[in-house]
Amino acid sequence: MSGLTAIVKDVQKHDSLHIVKFDCEGQVLSMMSLELEKTIQKGLKVKLSMKPTHVAIAKNLQGELSYSNQLQATIVKLENGVLLSSLSLKLDSGSVIESIITKESSNRMNLQVGEQVLVLIKANEIFIKEVLSC
Amino acid sequence: MININIQKTLHGSSGEMDLKVDLSIVQNDFVALTGQSGSGKTTLLRILAGLEESRGVIEVGDEIWQDSNKRIYLAPQKRKIGFVFQDYALFSNMSVEDNLLFVKKDRELASHLLEITGLALLKNRHTSTLSGGQKQRVSLCRAMMNSPKLLLMDEPLSALDPSMRTKLQNEILSLHKEFATTTIMVSHDPSEIYRLANRAVVLNLGQVINEGTPKEILLQTSGSAKFSFEGELLDIIKVDVIHVAVIAIAQQIVEVVVSQEEIKRLSIGQIVRVSTKAFSPTISE
Repeated sequence: MSGLTAIVKDVQKHDSLHIVKFDCEGQVLSMMSLELEKTIQKGLKVKLSMKPTHVAIAKNLQGELSYSNQLQATIVKLENGVLLSSLSLKLDSGSVIESIITKESSNRMNLQVGEQVLVLIKANEIFIKEVLSC
Repeated sequence: MININIQKTLHGSSGEMDLKVDLSIVQNDFVALTGQSGSGKTTLLRILAGLEESRGVIEVGDEIWQDSNKRIYLAPQKRKIGFVFQDYALFSNMSVEDNLLFVKKDRELASHLLEITGLALLKNRHTSTLSGGQKQRVSLCRAMMNSPKLLLMDEPLSALDPSMRTKLQNEILSLHKEFATTTIMVSHDPSEIYRLANRAVVLNLGQVINEGTPKEILLQTSGSAKFSFEGELLDIIKVDVIHVAVIAIAQQIVEVVVSQEEIKRLSIGQIVRVSTKAFSPTISE
């Protein structure tokens, strides 16, 4: 499971719906959530996570994307299976997250270890895995 | 090979019902027999044990246990079966060891069985002084005393708490393997069926309606979704441009985000299936 340490920067609320902004070593991340625990407030340190199967990758990207979370990363590990590829991606902050994509995509994009890519995660795919401290 | 082809008219709570089972079981198979209560599971076990008569044929290997056309009905004590009941059915005025020796005067086998089920120290105790889990171990040992070709178990663990159940499941499995017996177990517990059986048979109103590997039978899927539960739609709450469906599943309430289009097909009180692909759920301790 992928994990990122981040600090709550802002909580936007509308009825039971929330959008939480996090600061992850200078990068801003957005998370969409329904009811949120009251303890999730500005300044709180948390561990964020997402399913590796929900992490997309872009290379030489041009144009606009609706993804709220677009992070620069370097491919540090690439394992090709029969149908799928598993990638480890090191963010500028030093955290490593995983991505599982089809091998077809990996080959089409000619992904290589050491390469710079853009990691794409929708706001509804990020969740708080653990509250670390205030 | 065990061939079962039997028929019997049962008078159940919902009227007459035909129990009609045509089943072949490979030797050493562990078959879970499941289905709603009143579907004929216990009656089928009793017919196999020779405790009830029926029409048709029961062949176990090269022995014929029953052939109603030839008026053959082998007496229960002549069939090599072991039977484990839900309520233990032990002789409470006898010691643990005597309960086993009653079946067969084989002290060596009795002490071996008591050893592997951790009962050796209790062999002189009266069974009335034992806990539920210990009693069911004794009845399991007793069922193995005549090295059964067919081990029949009728919800053997349903009266026990979950941790005891897991322990006994392991013992049942090791006895099944050590004695190379063929086992048919009535069970309603999916985890038990998955852990023990290599084949599951679903009985409904006296008929086999489904059979296959436990995974094929138990995995509730809809389309490509592998994570699927049935529940009651309790409420739909509009939030911003989305809607939140509140659904009761088992003893819990869950929430699912649905779109404007999706709610058109839903109405409160409806029984719905909540599912997602196997890629989405996360697991935590």
